[in-house]
Amino acid sequence: MNIKRIKFLIALYIGKILVFLTRLISKERGTNIPGAYANKIQKDFINGFRGINYDKVIFITGTNGKSTTNNIIVHTLRTAGKTVATNLEGANLIGGIATALIKNSTLTGNMKTECMCFEIDERSFARIYEYLPAKNICITNLQKDQVQRNGEPDYIYQKLKKVINPSMTLYLNNEEPRAKSFEDMGCKVFYYGVEKNETSFEKNDFFDVSLPCPKCNDKIKFNYYNIDNVGNFTCTGCNFKSEEKPNFEIKNINFKTNEFECDGKKYKVPYSQPFFMYNYALCIAICQKFQIPADQIQKAFSTFKNISGRLETIHYGSKEIKYIRIKQENPETLQSAFDYIARDSNPKIFMLGLEQLVDFKPYYTNTFYSFDCNVNKLIESNIERYICFSEAVAYDSANRLIYAGVDKNKISILPTDSDEEILKELDKYDCNNVYLVTWLHKYEELIKDVAKIKKAGGKDGK
Amino acid sequence: MENNELNITWCYPDILNLHGDRGNIMALKRVAELLELKVNINKIENYQDEIDFENTDILFFNAGELKVVEPIVEALKSKKEELDNYIKKGKIIMAIGSTGAVFAQEVMRTDGSIVKGLGYLDMRCIEREYVYGDDLIYRLKDDENMEINGSQIQIIDTLLNDGIELGTLIYGKGNNGEVDKSEGAKYKNLIFTNCLGPVLVKNPWYAEKLIRQAMENKGIKIEKQIDKDEYEIERKSMECIKRFIDKKTSEEKKG
Repeated sequence: MNIKRIKFLIALYIGKILVFLTRLISKERGTNIPGAYANKIQKDFINGFRGINYDKVIFITGTNGKSTTNNIIVHTLRTAGKTVATNLEGANLIGGIATALIKNSTLTGNMKTECMCFEIDERSFARIYEYLPAKNICITNLQKDQVQRNGEPDYIYQKLKKVINPSMTLYLNNEEPRAKSFEDMGCKVFYYGVEKNETSFEKNDFFDVSLPCPKCNDKIKFNYYNIDNVGNFTCTGCNFKSEEKPNFEIKNINFKTNEFECDGKKYKVPYSQPFFMYNYALCIAICQKFQIPADQIQKAFSTFKNISGRLETIHYGSKEIKYIRIKQENPETLQSAFDYIARDSNPKIFMLGLEQLVDFKPYYTNTFYSFDCNVNKLIESNIERYICFSEAVAYDSANRLIYAGVDKNKISILPTDSDEEILKELDKYDCNNVYLVTWLHKYEELIKDVAKIKKAGGKDGK
Repeated sequence: MENNELNITWCYPDILNLHGDRGNIMALKRVAELLELKVNINKIENYQDEIDFENTDILFFNAGELKVVEPIVEALKSKKEELDNYIKKGKIIMAIGSTGAVFAQEVMRTDGSIVKGLGYLDMRCIEREYVYGDDLIYRLKDDENMEINGSQIQIIDTLLNDGIELGTLIYGKGNNGEVDKSEGAKYKNLIFTNCLGPVLVKNPWYAEKLIRQAMENKGIKIEKQIDKDEYEIERKSMECIKRFIDKKTSEEKKG
């Protein structure tokens, strides 16, 4: 046994001990720390695992939709009897991948699973691929996201482009221009998409914008959208466009019965939001690769539960506060939140806490991505009161709404992060139907403070 | 065209689509309407489309990806004579973020390649290895009472060769951080700023200044004064941002 192997085994054992210990403290913490520590002991630790069939390793990357798609695919593979190593908990950096391998290997570093399916952070893709050269790469979309780290979508696009090579099979979103443009890299390509349906829409507002073509830099024109910035497109400068017949296309969607067809087979699904259709399409494409028949895919879809949901409810007195999680500096998730709320035509209170950004230094106060979103449908959905809060950006958040046409007098602007003050303002209004859009950490603070109030006997606490 | 009309030409809105900067056009429209002007906005959608320089009062280029600097330079080269005249007349052009590089001498990319700009602004841009994002506050060089606030997502550093800065940094990185404390650049009324926000949404007083200048350029002095209350939200926003910056700066000093 050479020194490198001994070092690997030491890192593996320490990793396994850390998996055990972190599980005792918290299940969530055990998803990254053991692998991150093992990687510190040996930089190419992941290389040391044996028994990996790279043809059965799937990477899912992209800006949005990684977690949910990974969850559906893994659930379907497992329902079909496959053993799968994965990072369902969303630990998508190299530490998370290493942890998943530690958990699913023997004491000698042999993999115990037939397949691997990982969601991969776009920025970490190159580093992870260096040690784990997956043969199946799924790209969901490349959109605006976390600009303080990523700057512009092309920054991530170029990073991925350096790694994509002809040994890979690519599964590309047929209706997202940047994802689809990887078709030119000499790989075997499968396209997946969603047919125009009753929820498809066009953007005709004067201020609507699309994006530059990833191939020729001219304007991309969307013929229609299935979800925000994803839909059938054509470049106005070159011949780049969505395939007319993608390999895997969700068709004949019935949103009332949650049924659709794909590849000539009918499916019934538990979730029918338009963005889910892309996740199902990609899942069906991967299942074909693993020769999983339609009846088994259907069986898996019937029992699928979305653990990475972004909707929670807080009960506060007679009020039901529906919290919709958004990703930091990500206009698509903010737009999805607005669209979700807009579908409820009942009278409501809308609370918006975009918050100052404190995940990376320097902390800063960006709210400009809210101007990438369309607010028209939201403000036409019977909102009785708007409450904008945040120590630094409450006024900027309110201004986005005012620019969309909301009367200033209908907005309470609270330049504070104090939950006491936010809830005090909420108490002033009778409406019990409340929607809250803010970061996860603010929501977590709020549920703790509501619990304290209830413990003290307030707001219907016992 | 009537005397009370403001003509904005919005260049390549789909290609220069970053950072919610379409809000700048919304802000110009809002402030111009407060000044009781009729606003005409003309979009230039594709590189080969003609620009009506004669009937343009403000030519606007929002922030876009660095990769589109080169095709925009090529597109504007074909209109160079008209563009030269437009700039010489002191008519207004505004370029936000990396799009400022279109008007620079050159941009050096991280791979060592050089993209030649149109050269109206005597400055060089250097693509950064890593993105830098932060708040940004500066004072206008030609109007020291006016402070502009927003944020910046820095993909290029800018080095000015002549004293053409648009403003002096109060907080943030601006063109190049500590090198010369400069922010943006200005030649006649060709303006480049790194400031996002969108900058004219967060600083409507600057939008007003640009509009007044644009109208003066065609011999129209706007008498109408905007009620100070109209900008109350933006003023309070800037106060909050300054408090936030003071707090983070003092925390950073404490380590």
